Amino acid sequence: MPISAPESLLVVDRLEAGYGKIGVLHGVELTIAEGEVIALLGPNGAGKTSLLRALSGLLPWSGGGASFAGRDLRGLGPREAARLGLVHVIEGHRVFTQVSVADNLLLAGYDLPRADRMRRVEEAFSFFPEIAEKRAEKGGALSGGQQQMLAVAQGLVRQPRLLMLDEPSAGLSPVLVDRVLGVVRALQARGTAVLLVEQLIEKALSVADRVYALAQGRIVLQAGAREADLPHRLERAYFGADARAPLDA
Amino acid sequence: MLASILASGLAVGAIYALIGITYNTMFATSRVMSFTAGQLGMLGGVFGSLFILQFQLPVLPGLALTLLAAAAIGVVTEFVAVRPVLKSLDQHLYVLSTLALALMIQQVTAIEWSTEPRPFPRLLELTTAHGPWDQKYWLPVVACAVTILGLEYLYKRTLVGRAFVAVAEDNFAARALGLPERNLRVASYALAGAIGALAGFSGGQLLLAFFANGPLLNFYGFIPVALGGLGNNRGAVIGGLALGLFQQAANFTVGGIFSSVAVFTLFIIILLAAPQGLFGAAPQRRV
Amino acid sequence: MDSAKPATVFEPPLTPRAGLLPRAVLPFLGILALALLLPFSGNDYWALIATRAAIYWILIAGLNLVVGFAGQLAIGYVALLTLGAYTASVLASGTVTPEVPAFLALAAAAGIGAVFGLVVGLPALRLRTFYFAMTTLGFATIVTQVALAWQDVTGGGIGITGPAMPPPFDTAWSFFYLCLGLAAVVTWMTGNIARSRFGRGLIALRDAEVAAEASGISKPALLVSTFLFAGACAGFAGGLFAGLQTYITPDAFTFELSLLFFIAVLIGGRGSILGPMLGTILLTLLPEIAAPLAAWSTFLYAFLLLVIVLAMPGGIASLLDFAGRRPLPAHRAILPRAAALEALLPARPEAAPLNLAGIELRFGGVRAIDGVDLEVRPGQVHGLIGPNGSGKTTTLNVICGYYEPQQGRMALGAAPLPAGMPQKRAGLGIARTFQTPRIIGEATVLQNVMVGGSIQGSSSFFATLLALPRPRAEEKTIEAQARLALAAVGLEGLAEARADRLQHSELRFVEIARALMLRPAFLLLDEPAAGLSAEEIRRLGALIQAVARQGTGVLLVEHHADLIFDICDHVTVLNLGRVLASGTPADIRSHKEVVSAYLGA
Repeated sequence: MPISAPESLLVVDRLEAGYGKIGVLHGVELTIAEGEVIALLGPNGAGKTSLLRALSGLLPWSGGGASFAGRDLRGLGPREAARLGLVHVIEGHRVFTQVSVADNLLLAGYDLPRADRMRRVEEAFSFFPEIAEKRAEKGGALSGGQQQMLAVAQGLVRQPRLLMLDEPSAGLSPVLVDRVLGVVRALQARGTAVLLVEQLIEKALSVADRVYALAQGRIVLQAGAREADLPHRLERAYFGADARAPLDA
Repeated sequence: MLASILASGLAVGAIYALIGITYNTMFATSRVMSFTAGQLGMLGGVFGSLFILQFQLPVLPGLALTLLAAAAIGVVTEFVAVRPVLKSLDQHLYVLSTLALALMIQQVTAIEWSTEPRPFPRLLELTTAHGPWDQKYWLPVVACAVTILGLEYLYKRTLVGRAFVAVAEDNFAARALGLPERNLRVASYALAGAIGALAGFSGGQLLLAFFANGPLLNFYGFIPVALGGLGNNRGAVIGGLALGLFQQAANFTVGGIFSSVAVFTLFIIILLAAPQGLFGAAPQRRV
Repeated sequence: MDSAKPATVFEPPLTPRAGLLPRAVLPFLGILALALLLPFSGNDYWALIATRAAIYWILIAGLNLVVGFAGQLAIGYVALLTLGAYTASVLASGTVTPEVPAFLALAAAAGIGAVFGLVVGLPALRLRTFYFAMTTLGFATIVTQVALAWQDVTGGGIGITGPAMPPPFDTAWSFFYLCLGLAAVVTWMTGNIARSRFGRGLIALRDAEVAAEASGISKPALLVSTFLFAGACAGFAGGLFAGLQTYITPDAFTFELSLLFFIAVLIGGRGSILGPMLGTILLTLLPEIAAPLAAWSTFLYAFLLLVIVLAMPGGIASLLDFAGRRPLPAHRAILPRAAALEALLPARPEAAPLNLAGIELRFGGVRAIDGVDLEVRPGQVHGLIGPNGSGKTTTLNVICGYYEPQQGRMALGAAPLPAGMPQKRAGLGIARTFQTPRIIGEATVLQNVMVGGSIQGSSSFFATLLALPRPRAEEKTIEAQARLALAAVGLEGLAEARADRLQHSELRFVEIARALMLRPAFLLLDEPAAGLSAEEIRRLGALIQAVARQGTGVLLVEHHADLIFDICDHVTVLNLGRVLASGTPADIRSHKEVVSAYLGA
């Protein structure tokens, strides 16, 4: 696997992690360059969420390593990772339902100086006018789709260098999915790198520069997002090479 | 007699409610019910008597020192008895670790302070009010009201307060968002220490400075929590005042000993009938 | 598709080391011998201390089943000691009732202890741990207050004389022998329970409650028996305690004593009998040895408790557990044996299928399952796949009775399968494993598997207490079957190892062995291949197929598509709580919607 060098923002090297005795990641290798959008694909249980958690410091490692912008990530928690610019929006739009929408964003900027905080919250709101309208309402009053936007907006408040989004489209209507992915494009235009875990492969490929496929805790495929025949290759990567491909049927 | 029942009922009820809030404050950020809650109340009385009667400090510095000392004990609780067992919450080791720490606090107090109840100072130089309007009855009620208003302000108006709410609602999401969850937890234990001590301090003229108040406050302060539902401060206040009134009414009518039997029986019945408390939510399934 | 190569002839695994049992008894005999020699010291003060230790142990032996085995944090057991002491004293003194002979008074104390042991214990059936600890604490406070207040009967603060023992038990040393003998009997009884399906059931309720339920263990019935027994022990000990004190006041029953009882169990180690016994002796002697520290004894107990919780959760028992530290074979493999499986699961005649029709389950407004139909046929492997959150495990939980669907019917053949009541599923021949293995880490692998055979025993708690022939015979049968089940999954070499020392993949097979103990008509597996190596997955697949060949219907929830397509006879795909497709693996493999839902393509 080419670990090309200085311009790499994130370098993951033979990373292993798991829950207690259960190993989930078995030597994951992956690199992301500054400003690059990567789609991370893979079947259920492959370890996509665990990889994101391991990178943001929510899941301890059992082997290997990773560095971000030249800093070793070993032992860092989510707070330190976020300070470096590595921000993780976790799955399942888990926003805080008992505080207001604006407070949800202010909390995301808890570490920032007071003056910066307000400004960045307003910037984050500018991506999502529909939740900016509801800034005074409780997080619990939003619909699932709006909560997902709020969760993404929480990530934006930190002005990340790399934003990791875990299934931002889950449970969203197609229109909303496009809204969220539109934000990914906007971030890309600003030079922010994005690591996108996504079930909707075609949607993911439409915004990504490159894809990695994860199966059973290992990277089984790495390709450019525009390469031909990706679905077939993905499927073979998941099911094993000798499987009969259903898409041929 | 009705005035006496009301005055003393509301007073002890407010003390119980404050201990209930102490439990809740610790629970919110850690999901731990700590046996130290009652001991913090006991220490409020002991520290108050120590600083004001023994060291001859004025009331306000005495109060400040009391709250500070108890906040420090709250922090010690977090480090010694809570943090080490948080990883395995489901094994309920915190019941044992906080019980152990509570007993150690109690025993040290018994030996270093006294095994006999010692007097607590009159806090205000008031001579006009007597009987049910005596300061010893309304001070706890005022303390409880101030605490509730203060907490409302904290949780609703300040960012750190909202961070407490966030950690209490979804610890994992709060951590993922980069909130300093560990520091917030320590802070909440310090806050709980101060609230518990305020209960003992404001009720010092009723309870005196007595090492054995700890277990009683533990139990009677827990009842409002069980009634109001874990983590529900308003429920704890309602539950605490109701408990205080019921207990004092039973005290005046059937006598002290059997009133505690009555309270205990009622407690068990309510718990069995509504294990989640009267304002609580149903638990989640565990498969 | 290759299945397990049939082993030539299956030889039943050897029961290890016939001398095991006497070796476990040796320390107890040693302690007994030392105790019997004590009178030769000629020091009457030792008689007092030793008698006190024996009486405490009678209470703690019962409490050990509640705290150490069942894991219920009953911290106020001094209340039952108090009740027993006053009951015996009041009856024997004849102030309220006609005078009652001392031994009858002791029996009455045991009876009262049993009744209140149950009353105090009942909240444990409904309440969370902390609540239960709090209610026992509250009860302890109340009992002392009542003892003080009820002067007509208890003598209030002045007190009352304890029951005087009739000859020949009226001297210090003869009373000691009496208490020692009773302590030995109680030890034997709790040992009988500990080694039986009841003891394993209690530990299973403590460490793996859901698995205990799925194995058909009824928590209320088991806890009620345990609370009755522990309460009787405590009440009886109270009567003896009053006899030893000769005069009792409420002051004699401090909370410190309760703490001593409770901590003795925890210092000793959960799930052990020898450990708590040593803990009792240690804590009784401690204030005597360290007399200057007497005032600090509560502090010391509490400090010990903290140290144990934070640094030595296994207590003395884990220090003594030399066998448990012996290294396990490093290069070991899981080698399922088809012949053992055939011996364990006799081929069953064609049975009725398990049917789900129109199942709907909502949590609040969320539809977790939205009209699922499913038929699992005996002798077939039925795969259940789908994306995360599609309702696979939820479907399993509906079948197992953990969730009650709002709509739909379940049936076993012609008989309807009622919703709810998970502990009844084992009796209907429905067994399952869990996504995260639910294992008792502190028990041996063999004991874990034997938990699965709990419903095969029919003898009562009481018969087991006295080690009557029938419970002993049942134990033998269950153990033999458990060894067979372990051989069937290929883990017989690890039978005596502590389960928490096994690797994750091995625990998955332990769970299957436990489930097979029910000789299930239907076996429900929840992601059994998660965390397994490719070779282990292949063996798992062969094992599952072998189970199905014996006539058991297998419902397999799994993410490993290759395993599903290799071994299933039928596959159902769920998406968003609905059946997306259902058919043979070949049908499913070429189903476009499935591929897009599953792969997201």
